[in-house]
Amino acid sequence: MRFRQLALLGTLLILVSSFSATTDKVSGQSTPVDIAQGKIVQAFQIVQQADLDGASPAAVSQLASSLNLALSYEQRAIQLLPTDKSGSGVYASLSLNLSTTTTVQALSVASAAQTQTLLSQLGAYSLALAAGLGSTLLVIELHRVQNFVRKIRLRRLRLE
Amino acid sequence: MRRRIITFVVLLASFSLIYSSIAYYALSKTPSQPFIAWGVYSQSGTLANYFSGVGMNVTTHKALNWHFQVTNQMGSIQYVGIVYRLGNSTSKSPNATTPASSAPQIGNTSRFIPNGQTASINFTWTINSESQAGGLIVLNMTVNGQQLSPPVGAVRALKFRFFFEIWTYDLAANSFLYGYEASGSRMGSWLQVWFNAA
Repeated sequence: MRFRQLALLGTLLILVSSFSATTDKVSGQSTPVDIAQGKIVQAFQIVQQADLDGASPAAVSQLASSLNLALSYEQRAIQLLPTDKSGSGVYASLSLNLSTTTTVQALSVASAAQTQTLLSQLGAYSLALAAGLGSTLLVIELHRVQNFVRKIRLRRLRLE
Repeated sequence: MRRRIITFVVLLASFSLIYSSIAYYALSKTPSQPFIAWGVYSQSGTLANYFSGVGMNVTTHKALNWHFQVTNQMGSIQYVGIVYRLGNSTSKSPNATTPASSAPQIGNTSRFIPNGQTASINFTWTINSESQAGGLIVLNMTVNGQQLSPPVGAVRALKFRFFFEIWTYDLAANSFLYGYEASGSRMGSWLQVWFNAA
């Protein structure tokens, strides 16, 4: 539940930062290509974190494909910049949108990976504690087990 | 009774410690040396026969389609860049710590490569023309669709060379840095291919 809340919070942060990124253009601080570049790096950061958190290779591979597509759009935007500013803007926008989508997906993947890792750790250490308890009881109550085995043997001998 | 309780607690703690250590070992990632392996492949898909002919002579207008194979074994996805430079026999080569900054950069390509995967990156180039400049031959080239005239010349157009460098994006520095992070320090990695403009 906590991870879902974190994922939701992360998504909201991205949407807010996307909005602030587009307002940068209005204030004349950054070009659409600069914004797209920044978004790609931001998406990469979150994808890498998801990877380090234990996301599955298939999920990371899919996110990498999306990032590479966003990168190709951004490079096309750079190529078009000297000759076709509107075309460049379209590609920068495509790159920006894809990076934002990838970031949201990466947050979700990271959240799932963190949950999975936590559950695996919880399971493994619970099993370790249970095994510890079982072993302790076995050692302490070993004499009872031996008595029980002896009784069974005696009963068998009497029956024979 | 008290003795039994103490024995129970000591045994429980000991066994739990042993089994928890096993669990920790099982859950831990196996240690590995991070690295990026790469090579420049010729049109025939080999690490040889780059010029499809005799020697290292490249004729004008002949398109050469090479590609890089870059394998990421860094433990996580990497944002990898390859920087292309043109040099001659007197150019200072890159090394394990510094790139060949004195040689002009003639292009770059970047790619996101997941851990354990290999990316194939095309490198297509053509010599469009040659011209004289101060007793040296300089080249007009097309590299990956971009036409350029690098400010590098060679006597009789002999012994030009490409430098290819691996750069990786460093999130802390917020930029690409030469080489890749390997056990706390950066490891520079570069390739070169010599050629003559025939």
